[in-house]
Amino acid sequence: MSDTGARTPETSGVMPPARATVRKADREEVGRSLWYYAWLRLKRNKSAMLGLALVSLIVFSAVFAPFITRYDPIEQLIWTEGPSAQLALPSAKHWFGTDLYGRDVFSRVIYGTRVSLRLAIAATVISIVIGTTLGALAGYYGGFVDDVVSWLISVIFAFPFLLFVITIVAYLPPSDTLVYTAIGVVSWIGVGRIVRGQVMSIKETEFIQAAVASGASDARIIFKHILPNVIAPVIVSATLGMGGIVMLEAGLTYLGFGTQPPTPSWGYMISRGQEYLLAGKWWWSIFPGIAICIAVLGFNLLGDGLRDALDPRLKQ
Amino acid sequence: MGRYIVRRLLAVIPVLAGVILVVFILSTIVPGDPARILSGQRGDPETIERIRREMGLNLPWYVQMVRFYRDALTFDLGRSYRNNMKVTEAICQRIPVSAKLAGAALLVAVPFGMILGIISAVRQYSIWDYASMILALLGVSVPVFFFGLLTIVVFCVKLGWLPGTGYGGLRYLILPAITLGLRPAALIARITRSSMLEVIRQDYIRTARSKGVHERSVVLRHALRNAMIPVVTVIGVDVPSLLSGAMLTETIFCWPGIGRLAVEAVINRDFPIQRGVVLFMALVFLGATLIVDLSYGLFDPRVRYE
Amino acid sequence: MFRRGRVVVMVLLVAVMVLGSTLLACGEEQKPKYGGIWKDALGADPPDLDPVMATDTTSAEVGYQIFETLVGIDPDGGLVPLLAESWKGSADGKTFTFKLRKGVHFHKTTEGGKPTANGGREVTADDWVWTFNYICDPKTNSPRAYFIDMVKGYQEYRDGKAKSISGIKALDKYTLQIETTYPFAPFIAVLSYNTFVALPREDVLKWGKDWNFHVVGTGPFKFESWKHDDKLVLSRNENYWMKDKWGNRLPYLDGIEFRIITDATIEWTEYKLGNIYAAHVDDPYYPEASKGLKTVAGVKTAVNELGTYLERPQWGTYYYGMNQTLPPFKDNKYLRQAFNYAVNRQGLIDLVLNGRAMPAKGVLPPGMFAYSENLKGYSFDPKMAKELLRKAGYPKGIQVTLQYNTSQGHKRIAEALQSQFALAGIKLDLKNVDWGAHLDTCGTQGTVPFFRMGWVVDYPDPDNFLYVLLNSENAGDQGNYTRYHNPLFDDLTKQARLATDQEVRRNLYQKAEQLVVEDAPWLFIYHYTSHNMLKPFVRGYKLPSFGQYCNRFTEIWLDL
Repeated sequence: MSDTGARTPETSGVMPPARATVRKADREEVGRSLWYYAWLRLKRNKSAMLGLALVSLIVFSAVFAPFITRYDPIEQLIWTEGPSAQLALPSAKHWFGTDLYGRDVFSRVIYGTRVSLRLAIAATVISIVIGTTLGALAGYYGGFVDDVVSWLISVIFAFPFLLFVITIVAYLPPSDTLVYTAIGVVSWIGVGRIVRGQVMSIKETEFIQAAVASGASDARIIFKHILPNVIAPVIVSATLGMGGIVMLEAGLTYLGFGTQPPTPSWGYMISRGQEYLLAGKWWWSIFPGIAICIAVLGFNLLGDGLRDALDPRLKQ
Repeated sequence: MGRYIVRRLLAVIPVLAGVILVVFILSTIVPGDPARILSGQRGDPETIERIRREMGLNLPWYVQMVRFYRDALTFDLGRSYRNNMKVTEAICQRIPVSAKLAGAALLVAVPFGMILGIISAVRQYSIWDYASMILALLGVSVPVFFFGLLTIVVFCVKLGWLPGTGYGGLRYLILPAITLGLRPAALIARITRSSMLEVIRQDYIRTARSKGVHERSVVLRHALRNAMIPVVTVIGVDVPSLLSGAMLTETIFCWPGIGRLAVEAVINRDFPIQRGVVLFMALVFLGATLIVDLSYGLFDPRVRYE
Repeated sequence: MFRRGRVVVMVLLVAVMVLGSTLLACGEEQKPKYGGIWKDALGADPPDLDPVMATDTTSAEVGYQIFETLVGIDPDGGLVPLLAESWKGSADGKTFTFKLRKGVHFHKTTEGGKPTANGGREVTADDWVWTFNYICDPKTNSPRAYFIDMVKGYQEYRDGKAKSISGIKALDKYTLQIETTYPFAPFIAVLSYNTFVALPREDVLKWGKDWNFHVVGTGPFKFESWKHDDKLVLSRNENYWMKDKWGNRLPYLDGIEFRIITDATIEWTEYKLGNIYAAHVDDPYYPEASKGLKTVAGVKTAVNELGTYLERPQWGTYYYGMNQTLPPFKDNKYLRQAFNYAVNRQGLIDLVLNGRAMPAKGVLPPGMFAYSENLKGYSFDPKMAKELLRKAGYPKGIQVTLQYNTSQGHKRIAEALQSQFALAGIKLDLKNVDWGAHLDTCGTQGTVPFFRMGWVVDYPDPDNFLYVLLNSENAGDQGNYTRYHNPLFDDLTKQARLATDQEVRRNLYQKAEQLVVEDAPWLFIYHYTSHNMLKPFVRGYKLPSFGQYCNRFTEIWLDL
């Protein structure tokens, strides 16, 4: 698991009907911006829309968590309500039941979206910044710079992600900052590769050649002309990467690293609830498990859809 | 071909050097004094000093780095802090165990994934196509540990068909192999489908069809053979995540392999073992990509190694 | 002894003969059957089979089958002869003479019938002299050598000024004499600790650094094979010296198979499937395991369709330490007392630990010598806690980080206390680190203000608790992690070490304990219980009050 998705050299397209619609859309609409067409294509892609819906659900839960839930996710009801609040079955009062301490599992799953999203966004931003910078430098200048960046990419690529991140995270004082920095520092290589490749090919195009000939500075060429053209693939890669990071974070907390209690983190809930799973108390770990699946599935579907919508290769 | 192999092997050298460097850096950023850990709960200053000297910890960092390169290249990575076992021995002891699991996982993943992929490509837009692709999507979206947990609950606890955990005969292998094989199976299904679709549209397939070659034979003999390349790539490139998955799978199923060794080494601060395992896993990956690159020729004569 | 890994959660207990007791009542005793492999689980891959290095309960659990000490401990915590047939102390309490048992041999074969280097020779007093010197050799680096640092000549030997320890002598082939520099009352008890076992020098020297993986001893079982993180196999020592009361050679079992299972959930599943014969019962499974719980002869016993569940208090104390040299606890007795008032021990035990613990009023566990019913401890009183917090200078509450070593059990407790503390205005942050780092930072470096610790008995004497854990001579990683320093307390515990009259010692320890409770360097939490779950066909299973891990499988047999 623990892959950011971007590393997998899948060829384009997954959901076939979507692809067919995309082509039709291409032929019909002519003469508006790239983003407009992309959106049109995305809109007609059912699986992408499902992905968007799932991601929206996660984002909505994260933003409006206090309004959706009735209980404080870290409040332990057993001390006030006694054993009846302990490991209670899902009911009208506690939709997803309660855990060992009488904490409301529904509240914890909902607040858990905040933990996962915050981490995934932070790590993704870091990986985009590093990946775009290094990738653009390598692609634009080529030569020695490219050699170094490509070398760095193949070196980091050679390590299993999870082990790499654990090795960084395990011995330093635990904090969220550490976790997303570690993930970001390792997962930029996907973005880095794509940007490097894109920049290389764009650099050869006539309009860039023209810009060079007209004496534009390197910085101007990179920022004004090249980077806007790599935004689309970076967005695709980042969206797919988000799913991978959500899973990576869950694996990390499942093994006991990363986010610390009482913060409601999905991986942590699964690992704690796992002990009680065999005793028949399934709700403690099953619900957060489903939440992870929803989040990852959402990002994957949306990412696939975005790729189909934005990938220039499909626009024959 | 010979020249290609040599060039490809030479290209590994800088990457290998980088891998060793990263492992060295990772082991130096860790706070805490290894000698202190080694000397036990009540280590006196002299003992600590002696151990530091023995381990070369009092040397400047560049000397330590050179030494580490020497040790890594000669596979002499010292002994476990925890039980004094040789690192190479500890790893070698577990290679067959993990290999068994990884092999079984691929044995599940490759045929299963390819069959799903072929079905959905050949019967494009059919209900089979949708079902296969939904399955494949779920396969990459379910966390390994959660899926493993579900298989234990269902097949061991509820149905009692299979042992939940532990290392032993074939029966013990089934659940972990399925758990670990899920993700590669899903990836293979997706990639097989899309590459099959591409291949089917190629001229030579049309030619074969128009010549009246039986449909099954077209799919199996011509299309599949060419669709193998991306499949091989996906297996090769996905090795790191297979290894990450193995860490979680082995932890859940009490499978005494390399992944478990890695997790326990981190938890117990057993730095020599940890360094050894990280290095080992990186080597496995480099080896796998090399094999994948070289094996392209087997499936596609067009690749000429130039 | 420190508890590590999952074993930590609660180590356990006692032994009872399951059907045995009922059958005895009928006046008829079942004749033991020979044969069978005992299948059991270990909570972790043992770090050290080498008894000289072992400090954790998992290693000890295996070590007890392979090695033997001069003095043993019976299930109720009393000292009994083992490899020493008898012993005598001199009038001044400084010289001990041991009469060694004759006919005790080192294992003749090991690891699939391969001959050992010692060839199965008899254990003599010379072996003991060699062993003690080996253990105390600084190069051996035994973490437990200091347990006998009162032996005459220990320091000279450690410092390299003497070639051997002058206080340990072989008077003849079967007589061993040990002299100490001062009369140390618990000395014999200390020798029952699982580091001080007879070692065959030939094998130790032959294997050198790899000795840990090829151990040879005198015990009822021999080392066979060890597949790390998977399985550890022992086989019957056919030349074992001990006989049962009918004169049959022990042990009855053909061997032992320890599966290494780190996850309590998995251990429980394996037990239910019949793949192991005994299991640690983690809290989630307690309700089904303890169905029909009754107290039989001081041991809580439940016989149900899953087997026999046994539970009994264990000599150990679980506490959170407060470093006396660091803020905020430094010179702030009110604050430390406030913490003690803020905890609902009984609630924690009832709701989170399934009632399997005793609220701790002080340091000494119930049943131990000098334990006092009349000790004044802390009750659960959030109001009092708030009041004391105000007096301590924190009227608006306080934020503290608790550091604990990684384990589901510690986490479970810490999360519960986190919420209890909140009621009294104490905000608790949690931080978990591995065991090594925990010892390092809490012990050696002393940089952690608030930390979890637990202690289970090494030798049955209050000295092992009060002197080792709280006397300022042991400040730091020697045991006194909180750096507690009270001259009066130091004096009392020191006197108790030197005194030989038990009533005098009892008095000293009780005064000392009341003092430490008042000063509150610890947040006293609970005293452990020990438990085990056994398959119905298991016979002759006796467990010590020291904990289930101390059991020897010498007299166990399977009624299959």
